[in-house]
Amino acid sequence: MPPSFVEDRRKAALKVYEEAEVPTWRRSGFWTTTLRNLDLDALEPRRYDDLDDVDSRIVQEHLGDEEHAALIVQRGASVVHTDVSDDRVIVMPLEQAVEEHPDLVEEWFAKRLPHDEGKFPAGNAAFWTGGVFVHVPDNVRIEKPIQAVWLIDEPGTVQWAHTLVVVGEHAEVKIREYFLAPGFEGQALHAGAFELYARPGAQVDLAHYQDWGTGEVHDLSVRRVEIARDARVKWVPIHLGGRLTKQTLDIITAEPGSDMRHTGMYFTERDEHLDLFTTDRHEAGHTTGDTVWKGALTGDSRASYEGLIHIVPGASETDTYLQTHQMLLSPKAKGDAIPSLIVETDNVKASHGGTVGELDQDQIFYMMTRGVPRAEAVRVLVEGYFEEVVQRLEDPGLEDLVRRRIADKLKGAEDQVREFIGERAEAA
Amino acid sequence: MTLEIQNLHVRIEEREILHGVDLTVKKGETHALMGPNGSGKSTLANTLMGNPNYEVTEGRILLDGEDLTEADPDERARAGLFMAFQYPATIPGVSVANFLRMAVNARREEPIKVKEFGEILGKNMELLKIDRAFTSRYLNEGFSGGEKKRAEILQLAMLAPEFAVLDETDSGLDIDALRIVSDGVNALREQERGFLIITHYTRILGYVRPEFVHIMIDGRIVREGGPELADELEDKGYEWVREEVAASAS
Repeated sequence: MPPSFVEDRRKAALKVYEEAEVPTWRRSGFWTTTLRNLDLDALEPRRYDDLDDVDSRIVQEHLGDEEHAALIVQRGASVVHTDVSDDRVIVMPLEQAVEEHPDLVEEWFAKRLPHDEGKFPAGNAAFWTGGVFVHVPDNVRIEKPIQAVWLIDEPGTVQWAHTLVVVGEHAEVKIREYFLAPGFEGQALHAGAFELYARPGAQVDLAHYQDWGTGEVHDLSVRRVEIARDARVKWVPIHLGGRLTKQTLDIITAEPGSDMRHTGMYFTERDEHLDLFTTDRHEAGHTTGDTVWKGALTGDSRASYEGLIHIVPGASETDTYLQTHQMLLSPKAKGDAIPSLIVETDNVKASHGGTVGELDQDQIFYMMTRGVPRAEAVRVLVEGYFEEVVQRLEDPGLEDLVRRRIADKLKGAEDQVREFIGERAEAA
Repeated sequence: MTLEIQNLHVRIEEREILHGVDLTVKKGETHALMGPNGSGKSTLANTLMGNPNYEVTEGRILLDGEDLTEADPDERARAGLFMAFQYPATIPGVSVANFLRMAVNARREEPIKVKEFGEILGKNMELLKIDRAFTSRYLNEGFSGGEKKRAEILQLAMLAPEFAVLDETDSGLDIDALRIVSDGVNALREQERGFLIITHYTRILGYVRPEFVHIMIDGRIVREGGPELADELEDKGYEWVREEVAASAS
């Protein structure tokens, strides 16, 4: 029998889930995110015992041969692979951790994830299965990454995901989560919850890599990172595919001296729809933040990034900034990038800025005068635009993976980009 | 080989800037095109390279008889034309070294060997007194005015084009930087290469002595001569040319 802190939350959340309507997210202007095309009732959690060949190939393609401290893979509703090569850490399915380490889990479980903040967070709290639990004890330094993979390989699947990571005092660790699917025909839903607690003095290098492929995978997730005194988290969320993504990403400097470095990117194509809302929340004074988000859009895709810096009362001497850039590469793509700021205390340094634009014609002309054909100039400029984010990964394997995917996407969109850039040049 | 500009009329938006420019540069020659601000010098340079913001309404640009008037900028570059920009674009995420290799390879069938590229780059950086660390910086990002100009001349040296247009390369340079850039240009002057040096001032012409000087005012070339014309301009200023032109017209 699972402990009551899990069961009580499930019950309370189920009530919220059943009472809540399927939401539509609207903002002023043209922006609406709706789930009206998602047939929620047709989806179900699917259980598996292992990985099939397709899954193994996808995992191999993305993770390569890099050695890891631990690897855990959840396929649909089931954790099907766990491999821990560093016995100083606990990495196991969250369901198992609830049984085997109830005290450790209870201390942190859902601390930053209320069960009643909307239909899908409630659904997640009520229905999560499998899950990932990572615990790095105090003063332990793990060099190799801890990798978690979330796989959806069949249409009709709903995946209620929950990851809980606790990084002990002065511990150091790299955490990588991958969200992957082969291109299938049909719909699926990943409704995820991620929470990470970096304890005082911890150093965390965190990356999320999402590429749900060409199927109709919907991703409705909440991810929260809490940083305690003098701890530092570098977080790089990467969005490279998904039919519809609606995510809330929050990073919280909770105690003095904590530091966030938050760098994200997205590249949408075809008819993808991406809606991201990030908050850099400063809850204590003497905290620092540095956020950069960059996106590019091709095809008929839609992408909205809204980034908020929120400095709560009393968090003075905070020093933080956020910048966001978005590049349109197709005449039919639409997007916006909105930085905003709520400052509820005095004596802080906070700034933000944003741009939405197209490729710079002067840059293209300049490169062409050096003999570089237009298509290659465009590719180099877009890759260069993302390079700032890619290099912040500081992870050669993952950097290569991201660069390859950017190049693939540009190649796939070459004709429309050429047409668009050509039209713009002529209009000028 | 010859670069010929014939009766060139150029418009930007709805306004005609160049009203019939004729200019011929043969290989091995260095020409200076001088004129006050707004006379159309940079328009000519940009039009030579095929900047899409400039529209040729009449006339032709020929490189060794081949008509390049409608060619894309990259075709012109591969045909042997080069421009050092007055205000070069910043290329984020692309290091100087990678950019140079890409540009060099754009003009070759087979990519240049790493070793050969390194040797040529090293030699040219020495020529232009450029620090080695410079090559790993993103092209023009955070560069000072002088660094940008030097990066332009480094590209010129690496690409070794048949014809090079230097658009106000001297402006904004202090005397030391001007000397280094001029030494670099002089080292590249040879029988196989033509130069068109566009400048507002006569200063650079003290270091890079042209054989021919053309003066442009209000979109027309109004005076042509040898290097002595630049000296005369130095003494008397553009107003003198303007008055002369007005006098001869009446």
